[in-house]
Amino acid sequence: MNENKVVAMLLAGGQGSRLKTLTKNIAKPAVPFGGKYRIIDFALSNAANSGISDIGILTQYKPYLLNTHIGIGSSWDYDRNTGGLRVLPPFTSEDGGRWYTGTANAVYENIDYLDEVDPDYVLILSGDHIYKMDYNELLNFHLEKKADVSIAVIEVPWEEASRFGIVNIDEDNRIVEFDEKPEVPKNNMASMGIYMFTWGKLREYLILDAQDERSKHDFGMNVLPRMLADNNAMYAWNFKGYWKDVGTVRSYWEANMDLLDDENPLNIYDRNWRIFTRNRNLPPHYVARESLIINSLVNEGCYIRGEIKNSILFSDITVEEGAKVNKSVIHPGVTIKAGAQVNNAVITERVVIGPGEKIGSEDDGKIYLVTEDGIMVE
Amino acid sequence: MEKCIGVISVNNSVDNKFGSLCRHRPPYMLPIGGRYRLIDFAISNLVNHGVRNIAIYTGDKIRSTMDHLGDGKPWDLNRRFSGLFLFPPVYDERYKLPYSDIAQYHSTEIFFEQVKEKYVFIANPLIIAKLNISQAFKYFLESGADITMVYNKRYDPFGEFINVENMHIDKEGRLIDIGMNLGTQKSFNHYLEMLFMKKDLFLEIIRETIESGEAHYFKEALLARKDRYKINTYEFKGHVDYIRDIKTYYEANFNLLKKDVSMELFFEGGTIYTKTKDEPSTLYKETANVQNSLIANGCVIEGNVDSSIIFRGVKIGKNAIVKNSILMQKSVVEDGAIIVNSILDKQAKVRKGASIAGSPLMPYVVEKYAEVTKD
Repeated sequence: MNENKVVAMLLAGGQGSRLKTLTKNIAKPAVPFGGKYRIIDFALSNAANSGISDIGILTQYKPYLLNTHIGIGSSWDYDRNTGGLRVLPPFTSEDGGRWYTGTANAVYENIDYLDEVDPDYVLILSGDHIYKMDYNELLNFHLEKKADVSIAVIEVPWEEASRFGIVNIDEDNRIVEFDEKPEVPKNNMASMGIYMFTWGKLREYLILDAQDERSKHDFGMNVLPRMLADNNAMYAWNFKGYWKDVGTVRSYWEANMDLLDDENPLNIYDRNWRIFTRNRNLPPHYVARESLIINSLVNEGCYIRGEIKNSILFSDITVEEGAKVNKSVIHPGVTIKAGAQVNNAVITERVVIGPGEKIGSEDDGKIYLVTEDGIMVE
Repeated sequence: MEKCIGVISVNNSVDNKFGSLCRHRPPYMLPIGGRYRLIDFAISNLVNHGVRNIAIYTGDKIRSTMDHLGDGKPWDLNRRFSGLFLFPPVYDERYKLPYSDIAQYHSTEIFFEQVKEKYVFIANPLIIAKLNISQAFKYFLESGADITMVYNKRYDPFGEFINVENMHIDKEGRLIDIGMNLGTQKSFNHYLEMLFMKKDLFLEIIRETIESGEAHYFKEALLARKDRYKINTYEFKGHVDYIRDIKTYYEANFNLLKKDVSMELFFEGGTIYTKTKDEPSTLYKETANVQNSLIANGCVIEGNVDSSIIFRGVKIGKNAIVKNSILMQKSVVEDGAIIVNSILDKQAKVRKGASIAGSPLMPYVVEKYAEVTKD
């Protein structure tokens, strides 16, 4: 990627309010995922594995844990002398302080950073999606089409198409229309919120958008439609693979469960496309006698005496004797005391489930979100 | 502890007791506990007690040492000032015995002169003992001794510790002498090959012995001067593993299955750091059956595992049986294979239906990259 310099701008400021109390204390990109990771690790690892050497992380909502997690980016080899990772929070200037008001505004406010790096292309990423993608493929497509912007799209099931921003294209994949959450979708190509812009073009439209008082300063709602109206070369690149926007507690739970499925296309064991994360250097987990673990993922530092089925266990979890965990996602540091039963639940960091306590139900089809504040049912 | 530098010094004489396990690695680089190397315990303990300057005399076969330790980042030893210093062996024919520890110390004399620390702590990485170094150092300073040596009172009725160093101490805790334990007594004081001393004294002894040629090994020189210096002792009361052959290596791993031992070594007074590998969590499939085992990350387990240590990235197939065994990084046990009382070195493979078994006294070792097939 040397001759075509790409800077990635990773949007990580979202609250993810539909995730309810999962994001009470942390930004959505910092929500634990897949037994070991935080959601943002996927986009960060994709960028690192794609050889992108400059990346800006736009933070805003409760960034403390996210900042701790990312640090100077050493887990992703972003602690470099030239380039590397920059965390870009909102800031004050002579005109006062401003929060980021939208995705495009967040990038606009950091035009100085982009000017400094002086890239050829700017890749806009979202920090709250689970997927593996080689961004070089998107770049090559962008170059081949001589596009001003290329948008990654994915086929979604027709019946769900009306939940997404749908992109209508011609036979050359050129975008002819954006259809935001259409009642009657014309096709099932959903925008993934991943955009490759030619930097000059993006710069021009960010400034135009900033001057527009009616704009909500959002890429999907404002900047891209405006570019389309001006007849810019906009193309859709068809991504094939696993992609999940974990918007709700249920889809979060499902995306975790997907990892236990043999047919699951998100192969986290691929050594050629590792997902990197901050490492806590904990000892291996211990499995005691009389315990049972099947169809589950278990991370380091756990101490297991009970029965674990169809579940994802993060690090440093204690499951005492006689406790049963089924179809659940257990975050780091949780203790499940003797004889407790946990079904269809998401248990957040450091919660203690008391002896004999029963959480969730095996067959009511609901998902139980357990935090220190109590239990929410979805 | 910023007053003290850590010296990890390797005794090459035990190399040949590990068979093929140490064909390509020094003993202190033996994998242990699912994701560590022996030396991680010594380094992490020093770091957890605030020692910021650590010198390691690597001995030979150091490729794995270099790869593992690198610039010391996992231990936060990649500092601008101080940090990790690796001293590979230097052959200088002017020394009587160029590879002796005294020759190696002398060749790095300038390092000791330049560091600002006034004291040295020397340890043998083959002895795992989570000594509270801060407390022991405080005792050393307050006692006004020139040298404080660390020992462990060992009750050994079955003679499992024959031939290890036996320390004799007088009523006031002063060193009388160090000999070899022949098992004639049910208990003895095991010298843990850890000591504190003043740096000036350390350099003085090295210079004297280089000049006089009287000794090749530091301990020898030290004991020859035991009446000249004030040498006292400090008792370590925790868990000790002394890894000196395949059997003790094998046992030290299984000791980690005991809750009190793993709590002491892994958690009390700081965790053990090692080079991380970015492995995902371990996946247990529908047919997995794991009992009393330590399992590292990145494994895929479909078979039966009992009382074993499973390192990172190991694959265990359906109906396979793994018992009382150590499976090192990325080793593979295919469907239906049986492995009892064995050690699979890194990336070794046991093919479909093959079986191997050793005995607890003499575990069967499959070499690095080797394959075992059925008949």
